[in-house]
Formats: sequence, structure tokens, C-alpha cells
Amino acid sequence: MPVSDRELASLAATHDIISVGMLADDVRRRHHGLQTTFVRVADVSADVDAPVSVPAAAGEVRVVGTPASRAAAVERVRQVAATAPGIALSAFSLSDLEELAAREHVPLRAVLEELHAAGLDLVAQAPVDRLRHARRSIEEINISGLVLARLTVDQTSSADPLPFLKSVVELQRAVAVIRAFAPLPRRINAAVPTTGYEDVKRVALARIVVDAVPSIQVDWSLYGPKLAQVALTMGADDVDGVSAEGESTEGRRRAPLEEIRRNIRAAGQEPVERNGRFEVRG
Amino acid sequence: MMIDRIAEKVRAGERLSGDEALELYRNAPTALLGRLADAIRARKHADGIVSYIIDRNVNYTNVCVAKCNFCAFYRPVGSPEGYVLGFDELFRKIDETIAVGGVQLLLQGGHNPDLPLTWYEDLFRAIKRRYPSFKLHALSPPEVIHLSRLSQLPVPTIIDRLITAGLDSIPGGGAEILVDRVRRLLHCDGKATADEWLGVMRHAHHAGLRTTATMMYGTVETDQERLEHLLRLRALQDETGGFTAFITWSYQPDHTELGGREATGVEYLRTLAIARLVLDNVDNLQASWVTQGGKVGQLSLAYGANDMGSVMIEENVVRAAGASYCMDEVEIVRNIEDAGFVARRRSMHYEILGDPIFREREVPRMLELATARAAGDTSVPEELLNYPARSRAGKQRRVIPN
Ligand code: SF4
Repeated sequence: MPVSDRELASLAATHDIISVGMLADDVRRRHHGLQTTFVRVADVSADVDAPVSVPAAAGEVRVVGTPASRAAAVERVRQVAATAPGIALSAFSLSDLEELAAREHVPLRAVLEELHAAGLDLVAQAPVDRLRHARRSIEEINISGLVLARLTVDQTSSADPLPFLKSVVELQRAVAVIRAFAPLPRRINAAVPTTGYEDVKRVALARIVVDAVPSIQVDWSLYGPKLAQVALTMGADDVDGVSAEGESTEGRRRAPLEEIRRNIRAAGQEPVERNGRFEVRG
Repeated sequence: MMIDRIAEKVRAGERLSGDEALELYRNAPTALLGRLADAIRARKHADGIVSYIIDRNVNYTNVCVAKCNFCAFYRPVGSPEGYVLGFDELFRKIDETIAVGGVQLLLQGGHNPDLPLTWYEDLFRAIKRRYPSFKLHALSPPEVIHLSRLSQLPVPTIIDRLITAGLDSIPGGGAEILVDRVRRLLHCDGKATADEWLGVMRHAHHAGLRTTATMMYGTVETDQERLEHLLRLRALQDETGGFTAFITWSYQPDHTELGGREATGVEYLRTLAIARLVLDNVDNLQASWVTQGGKVGQLSLAYGANDMGSVMIEENVVRAAGASYCMDEVEIVRNIEDAGFVARRRSMHYEILGDPIFREREVPRMLELATARAAGDTSVPEELLNYPARSRAGKQRRVIPN
């Protein structure tokens, strides 16, 4: 950890968001220089009866939603893998797969191995605050030949992010396979949404504290371009959830590829497109 | 290094030249710009107060002959979607505004040839008769110029007559970028050239009115022209001291003739910060959460803003171009306090009026912005028949009211 516990506590308490952001930016530059990666994702429903359409521009196809059963999960992965061969295929939340395994009385590893055999490359997310056995389940992903796309947070429970971030540090120390961490909660309370200060501070602290995870990620579609772009100047280095749709489907708006590149450049950084396997594209 | 030297100058409280400001705007790291702007904000507002106003942004008509190509709000004369609000509708809006603690109406609209000066005078008098202490922050410089042309009276006379009728202050809308090359490209040089816009403000300040100043960036202008805009405002402020506040926002391209794309959030924060550095003689800078959203709106408080603008009850113009953020007083205060500031209600003149009103009494929550008119309402206010119309469509409507 680059700073002491006492310094961290004062960073977590301060309203001087720019200072926290500058420290985080130093850490980010040490890891990535000025490069910011992004991935264009095509979401596909977990429902086996839903149509599958994957734009050619996608760098990752992601099956979203909770599968009805183990068999349905495997079937859906098989369907999508057949439709989009060669594109990195991610699916499901690790916590949902834990539950599925428990409900069907099979080891998690068996479920993961079946998914891998059906064509899955990555488990789409591991919501660390919802996992029953975070360490063991993440290790199972690795043992099954799969990769974890990202560690996520389902809901923010505590106002003080430090204990939580330190638990992520411990988790990475144990598993050492977390490639990207998205520290902003995926479930947003519409009545009391988090504020801009809270969000960017959480991103910045995540970068400062969780030094051993290579990438701190923000979600373009979930948090919106403006907040996500500011977060790039305060510690984040990877953008998830960029639409894989082309210009024609977005009306008069610019194509998402052009928009994300423009936003990254306007934040003073160099855009680099990656695929779901974290390989640089083109 | 050049940037360090200029930053030192800012820290010492010295005035920036245009070239120095441009160097910072182009090349200084965003964090440095924020730091410098925040230090000035803290120097000017050492009490840690971030203010806001409860008012209602009402657009009394969307009919406009100016046809600026960046505007998604206006409708041409004769359009079935054109509207003019009636006096009674406006009174109802004022009643609703007062119910949530509001103190003023921000009244702006299109350049409607069928609304003569007497319509405005009668409206202002009627409002002041019913609501003597309620403030009228009304008619941006291009609207004043439009009235001057329509009534063939000089601008100072228009301003004097409007003041006599009840005008309290003038909003700084319609400035866009105060460079005529840009205004020609935006088809808005006809409504007011840069000199004409500044001229109205000069007259207003001399007549004893305080006004705000604005800048809409992100259309066709260069970064140098943004700075030229700021320098022109600074020069007028040196002369009159009449600007209470400066507000900048990014062009909202949806549904406009000009089209294009919106400037990014980081560009907004940089523009706000450089405005704080250049406009060393303007005390207050508002955060434009209406265009940037609540989150970047709140982050503006770290980049030079000391005011969260208006608790918007109604908004039509920016919404027509695609932005639809909404924050009521509870939300605004939560954002101010979460950023470590003290939230206070203010007037247009930036006098502190008190603590948040919802802490003093029960106020209904507003989670959606109202619109000028309910969709599909094409009624024509009765009193409009008392005023002569200039357009053919207006004359026909006067004869056959629907
Ligand atoms: S910006 Fe104002 S003056 Fe220009 S077209 Fe729109 S309503 Fe008319």
C-alpha cells in the first residue's frame, strides 16, 4: 500500500476531491501511463428463448441475467458461442452461479466446467459483497479454465469505503487472479443516488488502496459518460460497457467507438480498445 | 515552465492576460486548473457557503423568428406547436413556486412578433400587483433588442419601461459566444451581435439593474474564442460591476438543426475553472447541473463554482435539446453538504435568505420537472386578443380564437 492507514483515513474523510484524485492518478500512471482501455460489449439475455444478435464490432459478448437452471445456463452459453464464434464470451454473475450450484446440489466447479465446455471464456462478474465464499469461488473459476472478467460491487453498504477496499486487497492477495475491479455499486438507489463526490472518491480510493489489481474499471452505460470520464482523471483506467452497436442504430448520435475515443482523449489520455480477454484489438 | 509561472501568478492574485489564460486552458492538467479555481472560490467565499435559489424557469412563448440553428426549443410563427402562456397560467405557476419557497420567476421566451411591449408591461404590472415581493428576473438581451426593434424604441427606453412595469433583473441568456464570427455561423448574429448583447447589459447596469452573464460553448467556436468571450465580459464588469454571476453550459445538440455532439464532462470542468480564473471580478459562478447532471454538477464545486443555480421547478429549453436532469431542493442541499459546504438559499442578488426551506416547513418533493404547457394543449390565452398581432398567422388567430 503506498500510503499509511492514517493517511488513508484522512483521504477518505476529506472533501478535497482533487487531492485524492491526484494521488490516485499518480498510482494509475504508474500502472498504465496515459493509456485507457475500453471494451465494446454486446449484451445478450440469459433467456434461452430470446434471440441472439451480436454486432460484429463487439469485443465481448456478455450473457446477462440469472439463468433458470444449470441446464439452461449451459444451453444458453452453447447457443451464444455458436452465434458469435471467436468473440470473447462472458456470462453470469458468480453469486448467481454459487446459488445455482447450491440449489442443484452440485459443486460450483462442476457448473463452471460445464459452462467452459459449452464455450464460455469468462465469468462476467463476481459481486464481492454477494458472494458466499469469495475466495474459494473465484479460485474455482481459475481452476475450471475460465477467467473472471471483473470484480464488482452490488450495493454500497457502508459510508466508510476503507474496510471494504482492504478486504478486496486481502482477497487479491489470496487469489491473485483479479484483473479488473469496478468499485462503484451496480445497484443504484434511485431515491438516494450516490453523489459525484462519493463516486469519484470511491474510484480514487480504490486505485490507491487496491494497488495489486491491475485495472480500476468504470461502466460507461451504467454511470454515464460524464461521470465515467471524470473518473478516468481520478484513478480509473478501463471502461466497461461501451455499446457495440453501430451508428445506424443510435440515430443521429455519434458511433459509440468515436464517442468513447473522444471522451478518453478529452480526459488527456490515450484510448486503447481491448477485447473481453484483455487483449488489445486491431 | 510556462504553466508553473502562470499558475504562480494566479496564486498571487494577479490578473491573467488572454494568452496566459489560453495557455492554461489548453495545456494545464485538469487537476491544476481545479486547484487554482478552487483557491479563488475559497478566497471569495471564505464562509464555505454554497448558495442556490428557488425560482421557476418559465418560457412564456416558444414562437420565435430568430431561428438560431443550435436551438431545439423554438417553433416558427404559425406552427401548430407554437404557444403563448396566458396571464392566469403564469399566476398559477407563481403560486406553485411560492408554495415550495420560491422567490422569483426566470422569464424568458422566443422572439414572438405577436407579443408587443404592452403585453410585457401589462404582465409585469399584473404580477407585481398580485405578488408585490416576488421578483422578475426576465428577458435576456436578445429579447430586449427584439422588443426595441418591434416597438421602434431605443433599448434604454425599453429597459426603463420594463423597470417601471416591474422588471427586477435581467438574465444573461442569449450570449452564446460573444464573437461575431461564431454568431454568424450559429445564425444568431441577427438577434444580437456581440456588441449589441453587451450594450443591453451596459444599459441595464447603468439603469441600476443587476444581471447575470452566460456562455454556451461547444458549437463552432475555437478555444481562443471562448476566452475572448470571457475577456469581453470581464471588461464590461470592470466598467459597470453589474454582473452578479456567470454561468456556462455546454451546447445540447439533440433535435437541433446544427446537430453535432456535446462537449464532455471534463471539458465542462476545465471551462468552468478557466472562467473562474479569468473572471476575477465576478463573485459568483454557478454549476450547470441541468446540462451536466447532478454528479458532475456537484463536482463543479471543486472546480470553481460556489452556487448550485436554481432549484428548477420547470425547464423547457435544455430539455428540448436532450438534457433532462432534475434536482429538487432536498437533492441540491444533499449534494452541497456532501461536498463539505454549507447550503443556503439566496436571492438573485446573492443575498442569503436563509437555511433550506424544507428544514423549516413541509415542502412537496419534486422529482420531475414541470413543462411550460401540458402536451397537446394548444389553447390561446384570452387576453392575447387585446394585443395587436404582427404576423399573418397571429392576425388570423386573433380573429378566430380556438
Ligand atoms: S435560442 Fe432563443 S432566440 Fe434563438 S431560436 Fe431559440 S428561442 Fe429563438
